[in-house]
Amino acid sequence: MKKRFLTIAGLSLAAGAITATASSHREAPMIGEDQFADNTDVYAFISPTDANKLVLVADYVPLLLPQSGPNFYRFAEDAQYDINIDNDGDAVPDWTYRYEFETAVKNGNTFLYNVGPVDSLQSQNLNVTQTYSLWKINRKNGSRQRIMSGAPVAPWNVGKRSFPNYEPVALQAIREANGTKSFAGPRDEPFFVDLHVFDLLGVGGAPTTDGVNVMSLVLEVPITELAKGGTRPTSTTDKTSVVGIYASASRPQIRILRKTRDSDDYGKMIQVSRLGWPLVNEVIVPLKDKDKYNRSEPKDDVANFGAYILDPEVPKLLNLVLDAGCPETPSGGRTDIVGLLAPNGTKPADLLRINIAEGQTNAQSHFPNGRALADDVTDTLLTVACNNNAAIGDGVNANDKPFTTTFPYLASPHSGNP
Amino acid sequence: MTRTTILALVLAACGRSESHRPAARDIQLRPDLSHATQADLATELDQAERRGTWREVRQRWEGQQLHWTVTRHEPLCRSASACNVAAFPVQQPATHGWLPELSFAPGELEKLTAACGNEDCQLEFIGTLSRLELSGDLPTSVHLDHVRVVGARKG
Repeated sequence: MKKRFLTIAGLSLAAGAITATASSHREAPMIGEDQFADNTDVYAFISPTDANKLVLVADYVPLLLPQSGPNFYRFAEDAQYDINIDNDGDAVPDWTYRYEFETAVKNGNTFLYNVGPVDSLQSQNLNVTQTYSLWKINRKNGSRQRIMSGAPVAPWNVGKRSFPNYEPVALQAIREANGTKSFAGPRDEPFFVDLHVFDLLGVGGAPTTDGVNVMSLVLEVPITELAKGGTRPTSTTDKTSVVGIYASASRPQIRILRKTRDSDDYGKMIQVSRLGWPLVNEVIVPLKDKDKYNRSEPKDDVANFGAYILDPEVPKLLNLVLDAGCPETPSGGRTDIVGLLAPNGTKPADLLRINIAEGQTNAQSHFPNGRALADDVTDTLLTVACNNNAAIGDGVNANDKPFTTTFPYLASPHSGNP
Repeated sequence: MTRTTILALVLAACGRSESHRPAARDIQLRPDLSHATQADLATELDQAERRGTWREVRQRWEGQQLHWTVTRHEPLCRSASACNVAAFPVQQPATHGWLPELSFAPGELEKLTAACGNEDCQLEFIGTLSRLELSGDLPTSVHLDHVRVVGARKG
């Protein structure tokens, strides 16, 4: 018997059916082979503690088992991790915050990540550490400002013997410079979904991303640092009152593996992963174009992938497999979805757009106006995609851990040995 | 006639012959495409994917003035400098270059808006195919500049 799950909200009595997938975890063939550069989710919301600041979260390295020693997960040293911001509606980034990482090993003569209990980031027992530089890059003129250097990455939550009190140690990794806060390190995977979707849409409320971690970059930035002209807009309807955000990762063009020593990297950096909205490359872009999507730029999304948005595959699958009752694509295509990707007359693109005008608060930061950590974007997108006046979902409606009310807002990562 | 003279004559003849070839190739590569439709371009792009002839297609089409009829969906076309239009029906998209980007000549987007408002619109235009980005590895991008509206009607 076909397994189904259904939630119906509001007054609708129409039968709906459900599908879901991880937002962008291993979503394309090439990036599936490059886990450390795989961008999984992007979040953006007005800070709950300071309405003059915007919180940006970019998650990478999907579906991490906490007990993944001895080489616990980290950020790649030869990758660039970017959070890109368009502030004038043309879908071209105006600012980029770039993270670049370095790894240090105190003692290479042991296999251990830590050689004793760790009670602070300065502990000599912490054998493997990472630090990063954070750059703010003006994409219009190419100028770069290094905001932070030598900032620590929070360590992996190895287990209770290594980290008797993990979270205070991890939070020591928070850095602040010129009003910008930054955190880099492992967190509990905030995206919640039933991944059984890939078994022929066989979802039924199984919280399959519970218990796994992800590598998070979290920024809290004064809105005036991002807004066009450095001034927060007063109108909520102007094109420049929304910023569009996407995260990306880039790798060097050439890697030479050597028998006699470590590999060498050469050439310019090539974008290998990107993400704005959840689930776009995952379930809208078909297999043949997924790698192309990761290489391309949001400004070209309509020209390149607009066909898949105007005539999406998801509602057809919902009908075919689960008899969901989604209407056929209208002759003019799903311009309603395009409209959601283009608020305030901005150029349609796969950007997570959020209104930053004066007066905007955290309470208004919910997908598709930004994305809060607790937003059930799977249900929202399924409902929009099917468009049959019934709210449908995957049956997983909340994260396994509560989010916090203070920076970096994501929950502490699961322990490798709780 | 000395060998040197013969060699010089042969070289001169070859030179003349060579100097004519580009012209012949130009004729072959740059035909009049003013009556060619988006379906013609789509066919050539499909062939290019099979044969690897991306460069030849670009040489034939870039710079050509084209006269096409497309569908304008308002959410895709709100700016005179960045307007995407549907060159093929939603349910029958081409593999490549399905939503070309138009840059309108001054005042032309206003004509379109006056005719159709926010509704879907059949747009007949003349414009120059200024940029055709093609390869087997990146999505195809079609850009037309100096677009002038020939006709526009709702529907």
